[in-house]
Amino acid sequence: MHRPDELDEYLRGDSPLSRQYRRENAPLPPHALDRRILESSREARGAAPQLAPLAFAASVLLSVALVLAILFGPQTAQHAKNAPRVVRAAAHGAPALRLYSSDPVHVRTPSAWLADIAALRRAGRNREADEQLRRFRSAYPGYAAGMAAIAP
Amino acid sequence: MLARMEPLDADARLMLRYRDGHSEAFSALYARHKGPLYRYLLRQVRNAGAASDLFQEVWSHLIATRARYEARAKFATYLFHIAHNCTIDFFRRDRTARRAARDDPEAQAVEPEAPEYQRPDAMAEFVEQQSALLAALSSLPREQREAFLLHEETGLTIEEIARVTDVGVETAKSRLRYAITKLKKSLTEAQIPAARRLEARNASA
Repeated sequence: MHRPDELDEYLRGDSPLSRQYRRENAPLPPHALDRRILESSREARGAAPQLAPLAFAASVLLSVALVLAILFGPQTAQHAKNAPRVVRAAAHGAPALRLYSSDPVHVRTPSAWLADIAALRRAGRNREADEQLRRFRSAYPGYAAGMAAIAP
Repeated sequence: MLARMEPLDADARLMLRYRDGHSEAFSALYARHKGPLYRYLLRQVRNAGAASDLFQEVWSHLIATRARYEARAKFATYLFHIAHNCTIDFFRRDRTARRAARDDPEAQAVEPEAPEYQRPDAMAEFVEQQSALLAALSSLPREQREAFLLHEETGLTIEEIARVTDVGVETAKSRLRYAITKLKKSLTEAQIPAARRLEARNASA
């Protein structure tokens, strides 16, 4: 027959060890801590976790709307996207000039673009200036101000 | 044959009510478990300040994740599993901090002391304030102490202790067996001098 060991006796409950443990001082958390936790449980309830799916659906809708606006937005946005951008390059013996890159973040204003073309002309880099002028006219077909300064 | 569904325990029902927005259910749940949880943490980390921090961390986690709560098991196993994980993280952080302090000569020069709850004098003071049983409990290896506390404070079975502590049933059983054997031995040893003192007093009277 199986002889119950210490563990079996203990697990049956009401062992001398358990009785001794229960006689011990039973400390509780400080009242201030009780208050803090109960307050935070009520504050969290105000956040209403059942509204989380609704908030998620709203953010998805907003994101889709934003993507559609970017893809099919006004033509001006497309112009801005296609417009050439600036990078730094050192000309021979000339001060550093800003040439165009495809970085979509840094889009120049027409006047800054024209100033760059003028700088290319002053540096004697007429071929590059002509190429930039061609691109400028294609991007801003009706733009007239300041054109005289950069004419070949 | 249909598998019989295990009925929900009262605490799990309270937690479901809290999840669904009834804050009074949390108050009832808190009142039932604050004592056992606090004592579990206090006797695990052996420092009142650290135990209070962990106590708050456990409840904050419970509150923050209430929307995901599902009553799959006894609520106490859910709560004490969070507590177990927080305690493991605490000991890991503590070990890392102590190792960093040991490896960094500048840190040693500036702050040679161990954390307050690790200082030998603080530990000795903690032990002195305890009865023989609590002092013996305090000197058990952490895993054995945890198994004993989980059973005493929450009435968890060996299977539930295994689930809370992420170990196999046999491991949990072995930890609890070692714990009670050592505790009983310590108690017996503590009782012998007391009995001798009583005998000596009776003889002199």
